[in-house]
Amino acid sequence: MNPPQEHKKSSVRAVFFILGVLFLLLLLADLLLGSVIVPLKQIFLSVFSSEESNATFRTIVLEFRLPKAITAILTGAALSVSGLQMQTVFRNPLAGPFVLGISAGASLGVALFVLGFSSVFAFGVVTLTGAWPLAIVAWIGSFLVMLLVLYVSTRVNDIMTILILGILFTSAVSAIVSILQYFSNESMLKAFIIWTMGSLGSVTNAQLSVMAPAFILGVFLAFFKIKDLNAFLLGENYARSLGVNIISSRIIIFLSTSLLAGTITAFCGPIGFIGIAVPHICRVIFKTSNHLVLVPAVILTGSIVMLFSDIVSQLPGMQTTLPINSVTAIIGIPIIMWMIIKNKKFASVS
Amino acid sequence: MSEQGFNIELDNLSVGYEQSGAKPLEILSGINFSACPGEMVALIGCNGIGKSTLLRSLVGFQDYFSGNIKLNGDELKTVDSREVAQIISFVSTENIRVANMTVFDLVAFGRFPYTNWIGRLTAEDKQKVSEAIKKVGLSGFESRQTIQLSDGERQRAMIARALAQDTPVIILDEPTAFLDVSNKYEIFHLLQILAKEKGKTIILSTHDLNIALREVDKLWIVTETGNFQGAPEDAVLNGWLNQLFNNENVGFDLQEGEYFFKKDFKAKVKVEGEGLSLIWTLRAFNRLGYQIVMKASPDFLVSVNEDLWTYQKEDVKETFGSIYELLMFLEK
Repeated sequence: MNPPQEHKKSSVRAVFFILGVLFLLLLLADLLLGSVIVPLKQIFLSVFSSEESNATFRTIVLEFRLPKAITAILTGAALSVSGLQMQTVFRNPLAGPFVLGISAGASLGVALFVLGFSSVFAFGVVTLTGAWPLAIVAWIGSFLVMLLVLYVSTRVNDIMTILILGILFTSAVSAIVSILQYFSNESMLKAFIIWTMGSLGSVTNAQLSVMAPAFILGVFLAFFKIKDLNAFLLGENYARSLGVNIISSRIIIFLSTSLLAGTITAFCGPIGFIGIAVPHICRVIFKTSNHLVLVPAVILTGSIVMLFSDIVSQLPGMQTTLPINSVTAIIGIPIIMWMIIKNKKFASVS
Repeated sequence: MSEQGFNIELDNLSVGYEQSGAKPLEILSGINFSACPGEMVALIGCNGIGKSTLLRSLVGFQDYFSGNIKLNGDELKTVDSREVAQIISFVSTENIRVANMTVFDLVAFGRFPYTNWIGRLTAEDKQKVSEAIKKVGLSGFESRQTIQLSDGERQRAMIARALAQDTPVIILDEPTAFLDVSNKYEIFHLLQILAKEKGKTIILSTHDLNIALREVDKLWIVTETGNFQGAPEDAVLNGWLNQLFNNENVGFDLQEGEYFFKKDFKAKVKVEGEGLSLIWTLRAFNRLGYQIVMKASPDFLVSVNEDLWTYQKEDVKETFGSIYELLMFLEK
């Protein structure tokens, strides 16, 4: 009955289909490529029928590449969803998953552990700084920040105050981290710096079994609040006049953001750019502000961008990998610059 | 809901805001106002008197301190916020600029309180959105981006959103700010039609007194010394408009129903002539602060004839082709 709306719907479906195909191709490429190139046939055999596959390839695929690919997908999707939520709630195109201070909290946890705590016990602890202890302290750090933010957001009515508090908190924490760095020895410092560079490869199957449920819960909450997210586009006053319970809605959205961004940061380090850029990319390609389209769109697009970054970072055919944080920045920043310059009006949220 | 009109009663209401670490600040108190279905009410008062605070309390955005706000007899505080969204819709002064949002999308937000958890529009919802767009005169703009709208069009779209919300009460905070004169009149006129045709209760705050005096059914006036409600004409006759901006620079012309800026007179002028040319010549002298006299001895005389203005003072006599030339001569 409304031609422009119908037309929009079918073009949205077409874009989703193209992105879906791209996603599958990149997933396959991510499993295929690396220091050793696994034949296509072996990938399918490893995943679907364990008996017939080559044991070495099976180990590479199931123990290393598949967890890494899944981590890349979860990371891209989670950071993009939380970035979208923050941009909408704060009505600020520069907001990202970390504006609430989640990565600052995680960094503080890791910094205290690696630089502070372990330097007391001097040597030997460095070996302990494997994935689990780091992930746990990072998670504790971001969880404490989340509690603080939730507490503040029930007390403070003005959303801008929360944004400013988040920024100030982030600055204060990085000051503390700098002090810790100044007083720590070289090997500790290196362990911390490596954590800040981000890594998808260190996530094990066991850790995935923690990441995945947290991710699912976060995304579930995001879907549950799609309608309210749309209302927030008009600002909190209008949202309230449409019957949205601002405080409870804000808390659920913050909870979702913290779960998603906090968990990813805990296991993979503070991965930048994705959370800010992907929502903008989706607004440009889907030409919509409706979160019913945008939430699934950023999940798909975020996964695609992250899979691509992972393929680039493992430098096909070489033995070393690049820090993922640098790759996402180098790939992403030119894209977002180009989009902002080319398409000014689509780049802003509000 | 929409078939039923809503009475709004403000009963000895006192509003203000909470201050952290200090006593709550009361801004307005002892307010007794009311509005009936089909009525368009303008809330007027000077800047900073608390009009927005009062409107925010009426919409339920903030608590009031004492007294009551009653919707058809029910106290506003006791009504669930989701139910309020089906009784009162609100248009604020905020300039909404969201990329990738069409007029249809924006107006569809009005259906928010009625849609399911994911916000899916039914055929009925879509029809109400289209009707609202048509009603405010934006037909054909459905797929236009909201950021491409002019201020007047955007204000219409916001009103359409309130209409689509299908509430018996619409509250608007300065809906005509930032609009040009013809748009101001059209918005007032549109709201008047909505009040009369659909029996809606419409409450708005405004600084466009000249238009409000001509268009609204009732004024709510808030001043530092007291409050008034009644027909605009009652307000004029009871001297409320004089009191509203009570200072040495601005006065209210009881004849014209307009505010004017008080000036010291430069000289006395007597003007002769007729028709529109005379009226606008008088206005020009008024504007520049000349006292216009009928009989008392003037400092100079101006006679208006067709498109010629003749200045006469003792022996000097000059003729000009426009008011501007005449005034340039006088100001020298």
